[in-house]
Amino acid sequence: MPAAPRTSRNRIILILLIIVCVSVVTLYVRETDSGPLHKVQNFFLDLVSPVSSVFAKVFRPIKDGFVNLVHLPSLSKERADLQREVAELRRQRIESKEIIEENQELRKLLDWGETQAEFETVGADIIGQSPDNWQRLMIVNKGSSAGVKKYMAVVTEEGLVGRVISVGSRSSVVQLVTDSRSGVGARIQRSRETGIVEGRNEEIIRFVPMNQDADIRKGDVIETSGLGGTVPPGVVIGKVSDVKKRSSGLDRFVEVRPYVSYSKLDKVLIIVTPEPESVILKEAQ
Amino acid sequence: MSRNRELFLFVVVALAFVLQLSVMPQFKLLGVQPDLILVVAIVVAVQDGPVAGAVVGFVGGMLQDIASPQVMGVSALTKTLAGFMAGVLKDFFMTYSILLPVLLVFFLTFFEILLHQGVMVVLGEDVLPPLRAGVMFAAALYNVLAVLVIYPLLRRFRFPEKEDSLLVTRRA
Repeated sequence: MPAAPRTSRNRIILILLIIVCVSVVTLYVRETDSGPLHKVQNFFLDLVSPVSSVFAKVFRPIKDGFVNLVHLPSLSKERADLQREVAELRRQRIESKEIIEENQELRKLLDWGETQAEFETVGADIIGQSPDNWQRLMIVNKGSSAGVKKYMAVVTEEGLVGRVISVGSRSSVVQLVTDSRSGVGARIQRSRETGIVEGRNEEIIRFVPMNQDADIRKGDVIETSGLGGTVPPGVVIGKVSDVKKRSSGLDRFVEVRPYVSYSKLDKVLIIVTPEPESVILKEAQ
Repeated sequence: MSRNRELFLFVVVALAFVLQLSVMPQFKLLGVQPDLILVVAIVVAVQDGPVAGAVVGFVGGMLQDIASPQVMGVSALTKTLAGFMAGVLKDFFMTYSILLPVLLVFFLTFFEILLHQGVMVVLGEDVLPPLRAGVMFAAALYNVLAVLVIYPLLRRFRFPEKEDSLLVTRRA
């Protein structure tokens, strides 16, 4: 075939592909969450999840081996048991602290009607993760058929994992707290100073206090505040690992190391009751 | 391109997509994972030309967009362009050495990442993940590792039509 017509054919095909891409991007950006392209995403998620689930199970031993290799070659069953025990003890300690402080608050307010709501959860297996380097997402094998709704909180015994951002009938997408688009209402357990925990696509997340003069110390436990109406209050997120001052000296970076070890997660719990306020409000409309 | 090759490439893209979704995230190093779809698109472009690379990039990128709750069409666009560019650039280097796809994958990873971020900025995305040279470099190196496996594999499955034409050219 002569070179010139072939080049022009190539160009035409490239231009056509670009036009299709730009059209899809435009339509997607303009439509709402219930639009056809969003529905296609949810449908496709359900379609892929069984295959993904099989692959995830098949490769789980390899993944565990890789994680052990990367983190510490000496990681063994004993270490996993010890970590589980430490996580359980930590949770108990934090829970008791939480109960004491809540009790004090309740006494102060004389509002005895407010009690810690019992969480009803649905267990889910992680069957996939974000296919690119720009998001920190996980795909789980429970969807709307199991009562999962958008914005529901996802936890493990170690603490907050993230929240559901997309729901199919048999699978859902969970945005981790480490995702750079994630922002969760949080507070310091000791001083009750509120703020927002933001992800940075790294292992370490950042706590941005509402009050820049807030009393924050290294080792403080950060938990959810419940503000924002998506994640229930009192779920632990992580521990303050560093408090840095900006060079201008006006505000501070509070670095938080999450309790949850995301690379080792296999199973999570989705809090289905109480439902997020944002879901209740949306349904009421 | 023969019908067999087309069918084969379709299976390769589908497999790369499933592996990208369920297996590659398990092998993250320094927070990055190999981008199999991009690597496959570039390898196909080197072996079959710019249009084949662009189409593979488009299909794989679109699958990636549909499978994750991000703006649909962005990965398809960036991978289409990366695949096409790989096919155009390889014509400047008359070599069958593995060094060519390795270099193309290394530099086009930077191109694809920057383009992806650029498109998201144009779309008004206000919270973008931090773009660090270290992360891009790690992603490029990881993709180079992937191409060292994928390139020889895809070369093994070249179908007679293409081989014959090459032989004829060499004999002539």
